[in-house]
Amino acid sequence: MVTDMKDVQDFKLKPMKCEFNFLSKSDGSAILSQGDTVSLVSVNGPLDIKMTSQRIDKSTLEVLFSNKNGKPSVENRYKENIVKQTCEAAILGSLYPRTGINVTIQELEDYGGFLACTLNCTCLALLNSGVSMRNVFAAVSCAVDNQGNVILDPTHAQLQTSTATMTFVFDSRDKSLITCFTDGCFSQDAYREALERSRSASDLVFAFYRDIIRKYCNVIG
Amino acid sequence: MNVSIDDVVLPGDHCPEIVAAGEKGKVLLGPGLRKEINGVFITKPGVLRKRTPNTYWVDNYQKRYVPSRGENVIGTVVQKAGDIFRVDVGGSCAASLSYLSFEGATKKNRPAIKTGDVVYAKMLNASKDMEPELVCVDSHGKKGRLGVLEEGFVFKCSLNLIRKILNPHCPLLNSLKNEWPFELAAGMNGRIWIKANTMRETLALGNAILGSEYLSNDEIKSMCKNIAVLLAGHVS
Repeated sequence: MVTDMKDVQDFKLKPMKCEFNFLSKSDGSAILSQGDTVSLVSVNGPLDIKMTSQRIDKSTLEVLFSNKNGKPSVENRYKENIVKQTCEAAILGSLYPRTGINVTIQELEDYGGFLACTLNCTCLALLNSGVSMRNVFAAVSCAVDNQGNVILDPTHAQLQTSTATMTFVFDSRDKSLITCFTDGCFSQDAYREALERSRSASDLVFAFYRDIIRKYCNVIG
Repeated sequence: MNVSIDDVVLPGDHCPEIVAAGEKGKVLLGPGLRKEINGVFITKPGVLRKRTPNTYWVDNYQKRYVPSRGENVIGTVVQKAGDIFRVDVGGSCAASLSYLSFEGATKKNRPAIKTGDVVYAKMLNASKDMEPELVCVDSHGKKGRLGVLEEGFVFKCSLNLIRKILNPHCPLLNSLKNEWPFELAAGMNGRIWIKANTMRETLALGNAILGSEYLSNDEIKSMCKNIAVLLAGHVS
């Protein structure tokens, strides 16, 4: 199914607000709110790590996810893996062999689309830390409601009645899909529609990244 | 996305201008740029800069130091291991500094350096696959301004702040040096060593440097003036 471009054009994402260097001690940190969902990410590296986890050809990425109550759980490990694999595709680890890059994520508020918010926040924290990257990435969340309609960037209320949620991550070079995370039941057509709409919406996120960088970059040089 | 010089760039952006220049002659790619099979790509967020005729780089915000050859850095001696000192410069691993790479040092006449000393040294060798190596002499065997930094006060800041204050167009040091006497050494690894006559002057200097990070040149000038007035007021 080819989605009508007109449908794709009229999209809106929840308002995004970001602050760099929220934590003063880490090499890079960012706090990002997308609507009511807030996440805080800190990046440290490239730094020295123990011999056993060093890799001679590239840097080792470690992701730690901590939810609100702070207790480790299997669900957290799953999210860590998603973030880790997405970041590994984006970071040029081969420039920092035998070092480690630590990414620490703290959940602050979850009102839907938390995974997308976390991924975007991670990307911003990586930009702030100055780690060399192959490209930036943008995550967009979608939901399918009980009538089978695709909702872009759903709110908390819309998520209560939805049958499926999806998170797509795109790279900035050719807008190709690098991560997809889905939950629930949906049709193939709904998936394709959601994919195309998210792909167009990712432009907004990339433009947001550029605006953030533009704000400080003319006085730092 | 295609970008040109003085644009705000993000990792993954592509610069056809550099590729075109590369076809005509040699180009130098500085930090933040990377040549790949199908063109030149950006790897760091910031502003793409060019110095004529052929040097390109990205001015970016960064706090973590990645050693690079020929830079002057400030490090702390963390260990004495036989013939070499281990110096923490803020990179992913400690740099080595041979006891023979000081002015006038011989096997008999060792430099008096203790663990915890702060040294101002030059990166002799730095590659991603090897431990960085420091020296405290130039190629003529003279120490110049390198060596142990006695007394004073060391603080950390971001790497681009160092580049900013060392830039000849930046008015910060020029304005401050007329106000009160001080000594300053700026390491490209994001550490600054300062020494002034009194503690009040040292603090004022440190705060002036840290405060100038996000200010424009005009704002820096007025800030320096304010600090000088405050300082003079307290002394009298």
